[in-house]
Amino acid sequence: MSSSYDVVVIGGGIIGLSSGYYLTKRGKRVVVVDRGNFANGASGSCDDMILFQSKQPGINLELAFESLELYKSLVSELDDTLGFHSLGGMVLIENQKELEVMEDFVKQQQAYGLDVVILDQKETRKKQPFLSERFIASTYSPTDSQAYPFSVMYRLAQKGRDMGMEVVHNAPVVGIEKQGNGNFIVSTAQNLHFEAPVVVNAAGAWAKEVASLVEAHVPIEPKRGQVVITEKVPAVGEANLWTARYLVSKLKSGITLESTEEELRLGLGFAFTRTEGDSYLIGSTRENVGFDTRTTMDGIRAVVNQATSIVPVMKEVNMIRVMAGLRPATPDGKMLLGEHDGIEGFYTAAGHEGDGISLAPITGKLLSEMIVDQKVEKRLSELSPNRF
Amino acid sequence: MSEKEDYIVCRCEEVTLSEIERVIDQGYHTLDDVKRITRAGMGLCQGRSCSKVIARLISQKTGKPLEEILQVKYRFPVRTEQMKTLEKQENTDEL
Repeated sequence: MSSSYDVVVIGGGIIGLSSGYYLTKRGKRVVVVDRGNFANGASGSCDDMILFQSKQPGINLELAFESLELYKSLVSELDDTLGFHSLGGMVLIENQKELEVMEDFVKQQQAYGLDVVILDQKETRKKQPFLSERFIASTYSPTDSQAYPFSVMYRLAQKGRDMGMEVVHNAPVVGIEKQGNGNFIVSTAQNLHFEAPVVVNAAGAWAKEVASLVEAHVPIEPKRGQVVITEKVPAVGEANLWTARYLVSKLKSGITLESTEEELRLGLGFAFTRTEGDSYLIGSTRENVGFDTRTTMDGIRAVVNQATSIVPVMKEVNMIRVMAGLRPATPDGKMLLGEHDGIEGFYTAAGHEGDGISLAPITGKLLSEMIVDQKVEKRLSELSPNRF
Repeated sequence: MSEKEDYIVCRCEEVTLSEIERVIDQGYHTLDDVKRITRAGMGLCQGRSCSKVIARLISQKTGKPLEEILQVKYRFPVRTEQMKTLEKQENTDEL
């Protein structure tokens, strides 16, 4: 026996729930099937950034702007503050080489419409009085924002349910069969069966496995990110912090980083954000360790020591918890969004890596338009799952 | 339950009994679910005092055995620890 729907969404993280919500809003009968508990994957073990400054002008930055507007309307649609606010963000610059690259990058972003400026050392320290003196400048954008992922997911699920969406947890998908009538039957480990003409693969780091059930090619690999959470402390600065190091190496392939072997293995980058609960979330590693979600002493040590070297006053602050999530990474740093060639009705919406929270609303909305209106905007062709 | 009769269950995050009961009634039946939605157990003590009360509430409402609900993963730090503790390489086990 199977229950029938218009769409089965596989994955109940922030992307799956956003997709389910926007499809339900457009009148589709949707079931969201998730392998674990509520917010059990990357969406529940990440930070809360809607980050603009890290993005190169192009589709990701464009979609981040649209997602930010959707967050503003979701606050009223979902009757919740969603922990949404714009604290602003700063990218810390350590030397002249980084400064040159960042000056050029900021110009490109400004040309694209992003409100971002370069601050000199004095202006930087005015906003961040506890910062290590080794930073010579920073970039600042008041547009960098945050949303509390748990509130967003909970309210999307509850509002969706109010409109008839179903959410099934602890139901890992083990089979997807295309029937003679064109419908798919999605089967779970405990022998639940869901039938629908459309299936959305929003399984994040697990999207490759899900796609393999219909022999679709989805080159998404898990990258483990370890994050540290502090006790509640007064704010140490005005805006959230990142460092230019990795951004610069990404932007200019000629510039190589002076990194230790361990830093390279851990893929260490710096993100420092103040949360809804007045604590700090400090990240992060970017490790190739398959589906291992354990936290490790060397990973946490690297994250913590990096943070205390950048904001030394944090040495005295207590950490209360650590966590690790699997960021779904793609070869070109862009998500997969669209229908697979040759498998009518099978869509993938996954591969956001560190941008899942930023881009969840716009991903769900665009996907719902593809499915309901059967139209794909031209600009979205570069996100097509058929590009690999 | 009227607001007057409500109790604080998670003192770190000031989460009340009625908030927790509402979430359990919505179908969230694990400690992690309740924690992620209400923040109960997310504060300084990491659920050391409230998680047993919440587990009992889930058990009462769902009939699930208490032992099953209390099976959660623990990670370091076992207790809160200053970040500078990790500067010393020899500090690996006691966290």
